Amino acid sequence: MGFTIAEKILGLHSTGEPVTAGQVVVAGIDFLMIHDGRALGALAAYKQLERQDLPFASKTALVMDHYTPPPTAHTADIHIAMRSFSKTHGTVLYDENSGISHQLLPENGHVTCGDIVMATDSHASSFGAFNSFGCGIEGTDAVAAMISGKCWFKVPETVKVILNGSLPPGVWAKDITLHLLSIFGVEGCNYKAIEYQGEAVATMGMDDRVTLCNHSAELGAKAALLEADDTTKSWLQAHGACEPHPVSADPDAIYSRKIKIDTPALEPLVARAHQIDQIVKAGEAGGESIQLALIGSCTNGRLSDIRQTAAILEGKKVAPGVRLMVTPASREVYLAAVREGLVETIMEAGGSFASAGCGPCIGISQRYIPGSNERVISSANRNNKGRLGNPEAEIWIGSAATVAASAVTGHITDPREIAGGTWREV
Amino acid sequence: MSEQEKKDSLVLKGCAHLFGNEVNTDIHCSNKYMLDKDIAYVAGQAFKQLDPSFQERFQSGDVIVAGKNFGNSSSREYAAQVMRYMGVSAVLASSFNRGFFRNSINNGLPVIECDTKDIETGDHLEIVLDTGLVNVTDKGLTLQSTPLPREVMAILEAGGLLQYLRQNPNW
Repeated sequence: MGFTIAEKILGLHSTGEPVTAGQVVVAGIDFLMIHDGRALGALAAYKQLERQDLPFASKTALVMDHYTPPPTAHTADIHIAMRSFSKTHGTVLYDENSGISHQLLPENGHVTCGDIVMATDSHASSFGAFNSFGCGIEGTDAVAAMISGKCWFKVPETVKVILNGSLPPGVWAKDITLHLLSIFGVEGCNYKAIEYQGEAVATMGMDDRVTLCNHSAELGAKAALLEADDTTKSWLQAHGACEPHPVSADPDAIYSRKIKIDTPALEPLVARAHQIDQIVKAGEAGGESIQLALIGSCTNGRLSDIRQTAAILEGKKVAPGVRLMVTPASREVYLAAVREGLVETIMEAGGSFASAGCGPCIGISQRYIPGSNERVISSANRNNKGRLGNPEAEIWIGSAATVAASAVTGHITDPREIAGGTWREV
Repeated sequence: MSEQEKKDSLVLKGCAHLFGNEVNTDIHCSNKYMLDKDIAYVAGQAFKQLDPSFQERFQSGDVIVAGKNFGNSSSREYAAQVMRYMGVSAVLASSFNRGFFRNSINNGLPVIECDTKDIETGDHLEIVLDTGLVNVTDKGLTLQSTPLPREVMAILEAGGLLQYLRQNPNW
């Protein structure tokens, strides 16, 4: 009998043998992340303990990404508490403006193939791009993991998504997820892992692969997993990761569902306001005008996204009445964008940059609040009503290319209609 | 705990309070938008927007009953803690958001997957945790829920994950 990647990784970290979907296992984990949005919960759970020592703290990173820079005194104080906790227990610490946890962990070598990486955030599924089982937890789990180095899991069933053919120009991993959301609906893969395979994955760069796994959180996925290839291994090596132990699915593994996508037929898509699974083609969005264009987040704030933006904005101007804000996923991404001249191109076009962090993905940072009756096009991952701090504004979601193209025209636009909109790394 | 006491602790009795599908606990039962409020205040506001009479009706020991994907969206752990503070004895739903399910177990709040379409507000429920049987006593109905795995029951019986770890340091 064959096994999925999730069954193998969870099995190797618990019983030593593959386990099957539905089993409950207690597995050793490889790395833990707690961000500032959830740190209070973890610190409160820690205070209930009688013990002081946390043996797993050295493999735990505390990251200040949600409230960066802090919008209030209360959130600045959360950061003070995190710095103090980190110093006392010897955790890894990423301070304000370093970047988003899901970017920082792989970038700094904390993730490798075959690992289990737990994080206090639903977008921990990102780590699956590196063939690692990444999964979201909360404070109690995090404290239990800092004590024991372990976590309990109900082994998930897996949905297999086969991406036949390559992505056409102007279409990105974001559009694949939006397409899947139109099929499964929001949280349609609740409790499940998703494995992505096929030519489209093989030809994707790491940035787009991370988008694919990250955005699976909106499908409700517990984890999203890719097999490792040379692209994965050379990226990990370049970022100082530990020796990879790649894990592949067996050909006869049991899946709860298999779905094939005709990738070359995909087009740039957008999610309509307030419903991440209400999907329309960007070119058929009715020419809705926009006032705020946001590029960033753990889903689409990486170098590839900023390159797409610069390719579209090169020699053009952001439309009158539109504000374009780019928030790089990390300081390293920001610095690379500076060195490549992308920042210059985007700023000459009338765009702006904010320091790295979760930034304008969620209103709790109060980083960029839209006005009433304004329409936002964002490369982030969720568009719940009021997410950016004003329930009277609409938030639409699309790829970085779609956001950049829309910033140029002033309305929701298929990037293929704009010069530079079919750019892709070679 | 004697065998009989242990057996009794596995049977929960309470009055049902019914909600619909897709109840977002971040909005209805957490401090996500009330960061500066304490747990007593948040508990006093819980589910009010969904049902203005809920707070008057609810008594400690009662059961929350809902449709599919209870606890959806990012589902902060605080929601499970608020419900325990209120004295919710269990949550019965046709399905749960994964994060909410996990947080509830870790905080000692029983979460039971069960077809809830025949349950109404005010029904008296008797839930036998180890067999997964749910008796709707005044209707003479017995529903079979998905029994919780042994490992999960052990965490619930300890009152939550950290309590379990204290009793079982070699987890």
